[in-house]
Amino acid sequence: MSAPFRTEEFLVNMGPHHPSTHGVCRFLLTMDGEVVVKAVPYIGYLHRALERICENRTYHQCLPVLDRFEYCTSMSCEYAFCLATEKLAGIQAPERAEYLRVIMLELNRIASHLIWYGTTSLDLGAVTPFLYGFREREDILDLFEMTCGQRLTYNYIRIGGVSRDIPPEFIPKLKEFIEKFPRKVDDYEKLLTENPIWIVRNKNVGILSKELALGYGVSGPALRASGVKFDLRRDDPYSLYDRFEFDIPTGTVGDCYDRYLVRMEEMRQSLRIVKQALEQLPAGDIKTKLPPNFKPPKGEVYSRIENSRGEMGIYIQSAGDSKKPLRVKMRGGSYNQLQVMPEIVKGGKIADLVAVMASMDIIMPEVDR
Amino acid sequence: MGVIKKLPVYLEHFPGGGIVATSLDYVLSQSQASSIWYLLFGTACCAIELMATGASRYDFDRFGMIFRASPRQADLIIAAGTITKKMAPRLRLLYDQMAQPRYVIAMGGCTVKGGPFYYDSYAVEKGIDHIVPVDVYIPGCPPRPESLLEGCLTLQKKIKKQKIGDWS
Amino acid sequence: MDKAALTKYILDKFAGKVDLLDTGKVEPVFRLESDFLLEFCRAINSDETLHIDFLCNIAGVDTGERFEVVYSVASVKNRIRFDFKIAMAYENAEVESVQSVWPGANWHEREVWELYGINILNHGNLTRFLLPDNWDQGYPMRKNWDAPDFVRMPES
Repeated sequence: MSAPFRTEEFLVNMGPHHPSTHGVCRFLLTMDGEVVVKAVPYIGYLHRALERICENRTYHQCLPVLDRFEYCTSMSCEYAFCLATEKLAGIQAPERAEYLRVIMLELNRIASHLIWYGTTSLDLGAVTPFLYGFREREDILDLFEMTCGQRLTYNYIRIGGVSRDIPPEFIPKLKEFIEKFPRKVDDYEKLLTENPIWIVRNKNVGILSKELALGYGVSGPALRASGVKFDLRRDDPYSLYDRFEFDIPTGTVGDCYDRYLVRMEEMRQSLRIVKQALEQLPAGDIKTKLPPNFKPPKGEVYSRIENSRGEMGIYIQSAGDSKKPLRVKMRGGSYNQLQVMPEIVKGGKIADLVAVMASMDIIMPEVDR
Repeated sequence: MGVIKKLPVYLEHFPGGGIVATSLDYVLSQSQASSIWYLLFGTACCAIELMATGASRYDFDRFGMIFRASPRQADLIIAAGTITKKMAPRLRLLYDQMAQPRYVIAMGGCTVKGGPFYYDSYAVEKGIDHIVPVDVYIPGCPPRPESLLEGCLTLQKKIKKQKIGDWS
Repeated sequence: MDKAALTKYILDKFAGKVDLLDTGKVEPVFRLESDFLLEFCRAINSDETLHIDFLCNIAGVDTGERFEVVYSVASVKNRIRFDFKIAMAYENAEVESVQSVWPGANWHEREVWELYGINILNHGNLTRFLLPDNWDQGYPMRKNWDAPDFVRMPES
C-alpha cells in the first residue's frame, strides 16, 4: 500500500520590502500549497527609537517627534501627547482651541481613511479608488497647509492650545468641502461596495471574533467591525466630543468587508462632527500661555484617544524637576492589530493575508516607533 | 560625423521620406531619461508623499515614472523614509538586485543625513550614502511633491548627459 | 464607576497588598509587589464589578534609580481605566508574564525585555524583534546606555 498523499510544507518570506505590507513589515509564512499554516510577523525595520529621543527633548520639542510616530494622522499623535501633558500639568486649553483641534482631528481622520481606502483597493488590484481617494485627500491637505504650512507633519496642536488661528479663507474652503464630500463618499462606495470581485475578496475573509479582538487589545474600527460598540470619543470622552452628535458604526461578522463598511461610515460621521464643530466655533484665544521653562509636576499619566487606527495612548512619566519627560511610551492601535494577525490568517490563502492586512489598516511606524 | 557633433538630431531628406540621423548616446539617454521606472520602496512618512506624488494631483506618469514592485524591473530607487540599521542591509540587497544602469534618489532628511533622528537615536542609519551611491538628494521632512518632481527632473538631466561608456 | 469609587473599591478588595500612588487629577495608579501581579490581574479580570478585559499598554520605565513596569488596563464593558505598576531594583529584575490573562501582552512584554532587559518569566517567546538580529550593544532604553555611534543632542 502506498503512503497517503501528502504535500510538503515550505517557507515563504514576505517582506520587508513588499508592496502590500504598508511599510516594512515582514512575515515568515509556513505554507501548505497556497494555505497559510503559520505566519510569524517580524517587525522593527522602522524602529527609530522615538521613545528614547523623546526622553532627551523638552516637552515642546517632543511634538515634532510625535508627528513622525503615526504620520497618516499626525494631528492625533500631537493631540494625544498634548492631552497627556495637559492632564499632568492641569492645563486647560481655551475653547476655541479645542474646537479647532476637533476640526483638525476629524479632518485628519478622514484623510487617513482615504489613504486606507486607496491603498487597500490597490492591494486587492483596483487602481481607480487609489486615484479617487487621494484626490479628495489633497483638498484636506490644502486646508491643513493654509493653517500650519505643512502637508503631513503638522506640528499644529501644541501644549495648551494650537500654534496659530485659522486663516480667513479656511472656513469657506471647508464649507465647500463639507458640501461636496458626502457625494464623493457615495462615489467611493459605488465603486466597491457592490463590486463582485470586492465582495469575493473580502466577505468572510479574516474573521476576527469579539473575544479574540478584546483579548489581543484590538481597538478602533477593527474592534467595532467585530461587533463591539466601543469608541473612546463616546465612552471615555476627551476634548469636546460629548458636545457632538455622531453614530458609531459597528459590524456583525468581523470580516474584512465589515471593516471596510465601518471605515466608510466613519468618514461620514467624522464629517458630521466637523460640520457641528464649525457651526459652534466660538471666537477667543487659541493658546494658554505657558512659562518658557515649562515643567509639569511629578506624576504619571496614560491618556488615550481614538485614532483612525484604534486606541492611541501616550504614557508620560514626569520627574517633576526636569524640562524633559522621564519616559514617553507610545501605544498605537496597529501594534495590537498586527499581533492578532497570525491568529486570523491561519488556514486562509496567502492572498487573504494581503486582504486582512489591508483591511486592518496596519501602518508600521505605529508598530515599530 | 560632423553634423552629429553640432546637433543631436539631424533630419536628412530623401525622395519619399526622411531619415533621422542621430547618435546612439543621444537616443539611448533621451529614452532612458523619459521612462524611469521606480521601485516602490517606501519605509516611512516620505512614502505617503511619494504616493501622493503618484496619485491624482501631481501625476508622476507625466514624466514617464511608473512604479514597479520588483527591483528587477526598476531603474531607480526612491529611498522614501527612514532607513534603520535593521533595514540597511535590505536596501543594499534591493540595490544589488537592480539591473544597470540604476539610480538612487535620497528623499527626505532621514536618508540624507538621519534627519530628525540624527541625535539620540540608536537605531537610525545616519544617511544612506554609505550604503548605496546616491544620485540626487532631496531635503525636507517630508519633501513636498513638487520637490520630489524637481528631484526627478534633476535626475533626468543627469541621465541625459550620460554616454553609454558611463554605464557601470 | 467614578474615580473615587474605583479607588476605594480596589483598595478595599486588595487591602494591604495594593497601594495608591498620589497622582493628582489623573487616573489612579496603584502599586503592587511583583509576586502579587498575576493574582491581581486574574482577580481584576474575573471580578464582575471591574471586569478588566482590555490591556492597553505595558511600559517599562527606567527612573534612574530603579525599574518600573507600568500596566495600563481598561474595561470595555464597564468604562473603567486605571494603571498599576511594579517597581524593582536593577539587579535580577523580573516580572511574571500576564499573557494567560490578556494574550495581547505578548509583544508588549517582549519589548520590555528587549529594550530594558527586564526578564519576563513564563513568556515563552523572548526573542529579538525591534532591534537588529545581530544587536550586541545591550539594552538601549536604559538611562546609562551608551554606544560609540550614539550622538546626544547638545544642550542649548
